[in-house]
Amino acid sequence: MMKINDLSRRNFLNLVGVAGGSTAIYQTSLAMGVMSETGKPAKLDLKQVKGEKKSVLVLGAGISGLSVAYELERVGYQVTVLEASKRIGGRNLTLRHGDEIDELGQKQICEFDDDPKMYFNAGPARIPGHHRRVLQYCKMLKVPLQIKTNFSRPAYTHEADHFGGEPIRVSRYIADARGFLSELLHKAVDKNIFDESLSPEEIEKLRDFVKNYGDLKADGTYQGTIRGGIKSGGMVIPSASHEPIELRALLDSNFWRSGLVSSENPDWGDPLMEISGGMDGIVKAFVEAIRSEIVTNAQVQSIRNTTEGVAVEYHHGGKRKQLKADWCFNSIPSHFMPSIPNNFADDYIAGLSAMSRGNFFKLGFQMKSRFWEDEGIYGGITRTSQRINQIWYPSADIHSEKGVVLGAYAFHGQSGFFEKMTPAERLNFAADCGEVVHPGYRDQIEAGVSVPWGRMNHMMGCGVIWSDEVRAKYWDRLRLPEGRHYMMGDQISYHSSWQEGALASAEFAMQDMDQRVRAADAATTEAK
Amino acid sequence: MKGDVIKSLVFLLLVAGSLSANGKDRSIPPDDLVYCTVCHGVNLMGNSLLKAPRLSGMASWHVKQQLQSFRHGWRGVHEKDLAGLEMRPMARELTDKQIEQAAKFVASTWSDLPRKTIKGDVGHGKMLYQSCLACHGREGEGNETLRGSPLAGLNDWYVKAQLENYQNERRGHNTEDVYGTQMKAASMVLNSEVDVLDIVSYIATLQPKLRQE
Repeated sequence: MMKINDLSRRNFLNLVGVAGGSTAIYQTSLAMGVMSETGKPAKLDLKQVKGEKKSVLVLGAGISGLSVAYELERVGYQVTVLEASKRIGGRNLTLRHGDEIDELGQKQICEFDDDPKMYFNAGPARIPGHHRRVLQYCKMLKVPLQIKTNFSRPAYTHEADHFGGEPIRVSRYIADARGFLSELLHKAVDKNIFDESLSPEEIEKLRDFVKNYGDLKADGTYQGTIRGGIKSGGMVIPSASHEPIELRALLDSNFWRSGLVSSENPDWGDPLMEISGGMDGIVKAFVEAIRSEIVTNAQVQSIRNTTEGVAVEYHHGGKRKQLKADWCFNSIPSHFMPSIPNNFADDYIAGLSAMSRGNFFKLGFQMKSRFWEDEGIYGGITRTSQRINQIWYPSADIHSEKGVVLGAYAFHGQSGFFEKMTPAERLNFAADCGEVVHPGYRDQIEAGVSVPWGRMNHMMGCGVIWSDEVRAKYWDRLRLPEGRHYMMGDQISYHSSWQEGALASAEFAMQDMDQRVRAADAATTEAK
Repeated sequence: MKGDVIKSLVFLLLVAGSLSANGKDRSIPPDDLVYCTVCHGVNLMGNSLLKAPRLSGMASWHVKQQLQSFRHGWRGVHEKDLAGLEMRPMARELTDKQIEQAAKFVASTWSDLPRKTIKGDVGHGKMLYQSCLACHGREGEGNETLRGSPLAGLNDWYVKAQLENYQNERRGHNTEDVYGTQMKAASMVLNSEVDVLDIVSYIATLQPKLRQE
């Protein structure tokens, strides 16, 4: 019997592929550390197919589709990308002066100033350091990045039914929450609760730890701290800190339920990044680097697996056309698939139908001045109990004349409230909410845009939702190919609504295809 | 049984014949009407995930009437009619000419009949349907003069949703909507949820004729 050591890793995987199919390759790859889920990205090691010119059809010119075109054309595949809309980029959408927002029945034109600094990222807007694939492409394609403040201590938390309806600084909330928690723990130490589990020396250290963590007084009580922000003085007169918020009021409030710990999710953990000049920088860079044809205004009419490959019909330029290819990579939103004629197995379509359509809503305002900077806020997010949920302040172009803020961000069930409105009604509503947090907000607004992804042309949704049940039943079915057809995109990942999910899904599909190509080639060679 | 087979064969020939003759399954929407296909699917075959019904081959007079209903705010304004609310903005800004074009396009399409998703007592449904005949036609073909909607070829879940809309003040609530208010009253003939399931199951057995418009 051959020892593993005698085989190269790649050859071994080929053997696994022949024996066990793509699931086996995937599991084995993970076990061998070939594919890292976060950490350092796997180098795509795809086989050159130059001589035989294998063809690939990519459906959808979003991030996943663009990455497939980019990678596969480099190893000799002949790639064609079909995109239903007139725009390349999918949900990666940066709005600037004159851009059209193609919402069904309610088109808007972005009326921001004709100035490259005035833009709004209506789709992806943040990149955390662990999204290795997005960052790798940015590095490779020379897409400039900058730090984006996400969690901001000087920003506000506002709850209409708490703290007298007044916005309070996030720093104050954190300091008081920690202070009270520490005081309670200190009391517990004093009551000898830990005497059995900790040594006297450790108990002393715990006492110091909680005092330091909550900035307690020598007697272990919490009486407010400068960590919550300086109320007055601090430079040439002594500083004063805020009175602590009552413990009961803190417990009653809701900020601790999500906002307080939001940055502890790795996807939102500061420092985050954004693409300088707008998130569509990565789309532009891909388009510049890709030589394959990207056909826009090409709506798919049918997808069929054939004995030799995949046949796709589409409309373009008033004609019905057909393309055949060896492989098909499909990022069309899953909720459209049941209404595109196909010859896929019933359970495959059942799986695509079982995922729930998600919805996101974003709204942006061009402000005539950067009034938040006068309040000591430089980037980051204010959270409010109002339906707009959040206000985002721009991290870039500090102290420039104007700025674009995100004036509303609603997810899934909450989006419907805004979707029902006309664009003008949405702006008006969001202006009222902003006014509660920043008096004078409305007067600062010069222009606004709203993007309800659940109503956007050729999208009708964003961020599919996989219930645990559906995941258990269909994940493998949808992640793995149906014939020579691969579903992909953020929808086929554990990172729905993130570009990293889209890229990981595309990478998985390409590697799976590559294994099949290698296995088939190996079999042919064997036969000869 | 045998009769059914012959009936479907005749039907298939009818469809196939007209398809090759006029190429109706190849209808390509003008740019402005691609929007319809985003939700209603290729050839307007319907999409249950978006609650967008099959419209293929629907009589143009009926399409016009419904688009106008949406435009007037007779349909798609009730807060619980979520699918209607999604549709309404599409119709709100349409001009008469655009409505005309949309109706023509819809009538020119064709697709396979929708899958049945609702199981009810078809026999009981047929009995209940007797009070619908006058306006909606024996075969569910509709009646232009009486403005009775064609029902054959619609998705069963859509017919059910509309009956429930009528019964719950979400449709037929505006007095200017003469035919809608009539239908709202008529929907009260169905006394229970079971009645609704039964009649919907029966309607789903009605075969639409391919229109030659």
